[in-house]
Amino acid sequence: MSQPGTNEIELPEAKALIDRFYDVGMMVYFFATIIKCTFSRPFYFMRLVDQIRALGLGSISITIVIGLTMGLVMTLNFGYGLAKFGGVLYVPAVVSLSLAREMAPIFTSLLVAGRIGSGMAAEIGSMNVTQQVDAIRALGTNPVRVLVVPRFWSAVISLPLLTSLSCFLGILGGMVVCQNEFGMPPGFYINKVLDTVKIHDFLSGMVKSGIFGAIIAIVGCWRGLATVGGTRGVGESTTWVVVTSSIAILITDFFISKIFLLIWGH
Amino acid sequence: METILNLNNIHKSFGEKRIHQGVNFELHKGESLGLLGGSGTGKSVLLRSIIGLEKIDSGKILFHDKEVQGFTDELNLSKLRLKISYSFQSGALFDSLNVFDNIAYPLFEHTKLSYVEIQVKVAQVLKLIDLEGIENLMPSDLSGGMQKRVGMARAMILDPEIILYDEPTAGLDPANIENVVSLMLKLKERGQSSILVTHDIPAAIRFCDRILILIDRKIYFNGTVEEFTESDDPNILKFAQGQAKEAHHAS
Repeated sequence: MSQPGTNEIELPEAKALIDRFYDVGMMVYFFATIIKCTFSRPFYFMRLVDQIRALGLGSISITIVIGLTMGLVMTLNFGYGLAKFGGVLYVPAVVSLSLAREMAPIFTSLLVAGRIGSGMAAEIGSMNVTQQVDAIRALGTNPVRVLVVPRFWSAVISLPLLTSLSCFLGILGGMVVCQNEFGMPPGFYINKVLDTVKIHDFLSGMVKSGIFGAIIAIVGCWRGLATVGGTRGVGESTTWVVVTSSIAILITDFFISKIFLLIWGH
Repeated sequence: METILNLNNIHKSFGEKRIHQGVNFELHKGESLGLLGGSGTGKSVLLRSIIGLEKIDSGKILFHDKEVQGFTDELNLSKLRLKISYSFQSGALFDSLNVFDNIAYPLFEHTKLSYVEIQVKVAQVLKLIDLEGIENLMPSDLSGGMQKRVGMARAMILDPEIILYDEPTAGLDPANIENVVSLMLKLKERGQSSILVTHDIPAAIRFCDRILILIDRKIYFNGTVEEFTESDDPNILKFAQGQAKEAHHAS
């Protein structure tokens, strides 16, 4: 421990900081390896299809719940909030724009990070501690090609599709609340949504969720392959992946939003 | 006798802990080597180094006079691992695949055989290991001994030049030990070269042509089975007694 008033570095904290930078550096290198393996033979197309089925289709139920809930809750709160100022007519615009740009990509990604990120870490981590990953290597194949590339691309492909579904259901939920709570005709609601949400708003959400999918897969698979220490290690890895990928998604969201605002304006 | 594998002055450490300090030995074509040593002496690390799963700190591992540690790119490592296969202590079967897909994995990855040809080949190998008709079972449905034999079947299906056996009899009952040793002997009769890492001295005596003993990070003894059994070297006698005690405690 350093004494107060001295410039001595707290060594455990410095080491933890260095470890974080090391992890980030290793994940960047891991991403480069994934890209290299994606564009060179052999390809595992059927594994990609299996992963899309497991990760993408398997996450539909959770996406339906989060999409509908977001739309219903946001519309209720914005509706009664804006009603005080006579602004109920702006509810479709506010709800649809925030869903398309931010809420659908973020909430869907965070929930999917909990589901598939931890799943990837647990599955690959268990394989690592039971020497199955070594067996893949010993049999003359590359675990990044066999295990990681299909999971990476399935997350990058599935997450924008899940986000689209979540966004659509959120807007649909908003329409139901607007009609029942504020007497707004569905036709008016849909027109307002279509007038407000431009294609680039929708696209920014899709691109964001694709990037979040990549983050979830990189963090999950990298930590899975680095798992040591038996079942306890697997448990620690899954927790680490959910926390790290959630933080990474939230931080990345700010920077991507800033870039899109610079490109497409406000 | 043709030398196919040559380990020359191998040094390996994990952090501060030194594992190997100048390990030397050769494997000849068709020969079965037994690598013995106490727990934690780095026998498995040596096997893993041979197929490039571990990097050695210094020294040379030569396979047909070509340096294994020079096999750094994916293609060359893959070629090496088709010629030297590894039978893991636990079997290391892929638990998401059934027995057929586990054994067929190297065939799907490295050959252009049709599905029917692969089915025939897998059936032949299962017959060799006396486990016919278990193609559709999952690894979790198999006993420990069966898992090890299926793992060995997967290791040998591409007919490699060398098989590295990592403690194939560990944790097995006498009947399963007999099954595993019989299978290794069948493969030996077909001219398979192999290195057996084990604590099981009776199995090593039955199977091996030559015995190596790792003591104090080096190969302390390198001789025939007869030289090993007749040795009156106190360190070897002490080692053999220690192994017998270890086996007794394990049982």
